[in-house]
Amino acid sequence: MSKFLKENIFNFLIFLLLSLQAFMYYYDNKPSSKVYSQKSMSVENFSSIVLSKSGLTKIGADKLNKIDEDQFFLQGKSYLENKKYKIYGEDISINLIEEISHSKKSVQVINSMGTLEANGFKNIDSEGKIYFDGIVTFKSHE
Amino acid sequence: MVLLHLKVMNKFIFILSIFFYLNAYAESTVKAGDSLIWDSENQSYTATGSVEFSNDTFIAYSDKMIAQYIEQGNKELFTIVELFENVRIELKDEVFLGDYAIYTRDDNIITLTGDVSIQSPTRLLKGHELIADIDNNKRILNSANDESLVEVLLENNENN
Repeated sequence: MSKFLKENIFNFLIFLLLSLQAFMYYYDNKPSSKVYSQKSMSVENFSSIVLSKSGLTKIGADKLNKIDEDQFFLQGKSYLENKKYKIYGEDISINLIEEISHSKKSVQVINSMGTLEANGFKNIDSEGKIYFDGIVTFKSHE
Repeated sequence: MVLLHLKVMNKFIFILSIFFYLNAYAESTVKAGDSLIWDSENQSYTATGSVEFSNDTFIAYSDKMIAQYIEQGNKELFTIVELFENVRIELKDEVFLGDYAIYTRDDNIITLTGDVSIQSPTRLLKGHELIADIDNNKRILNSANDESLVEVLLENNENN
């Protein structure tokens, strides 16, 4: 028996290695049964309601482009309205996770103090801050 | 006679309503050349770059402005306005210059500090601190040295 093993151990090892290689080759090339799909969605004359720190915010646009689950691009004339402010602008990007909306186009904001006009904005809702760019005019009705 | 009395009363109430409406909706304007930040958590507006603040009493210019506000009912009111660097305030025929100014709405007083001056058609006064009491038409100009004090009282007369 031991003589048989001594004579054939080399063949056995080769057989084992070849089997291992065949096994690896099979699993390396096996097609996945999972289906990965990412659809880009767009909706015209869109309006919806999202929940943020400022409360319920109504958003709307000429066209909504959904980038992924958390990011939207409001194309054309767009708005965000809640109890704190009403933002009327164009081409507004929204990140729902970070609660940030921004645009580099002219914007009008109406709040309980007055009306503000600027060349762009960045609204960090979680911080309660809105940054306005360029020449800004704010008229308050005290 | 009673009808006439009622008509007069109606007119009086109408005029009174207009008066209160106009006072309730006095307008303030803020203009910024670079940016403006509305911080609703801290209830403030911060403006930078060729800032202009105006209300029904004066116009102010500076490099930076921070305006605090409070909520009163459904409205928000500016309570404190701070102006930083190259401050210029135009109040009727007077011009106040300084490095820093603070306006408090409650008492309607502007306080300027730094290299302060008051210019009017008839005089130029310089000092370190100016307190302009708008309601009482009173100006107090202090020098950097506390021992020397200049107080200027103005007649409340439009024709002067």
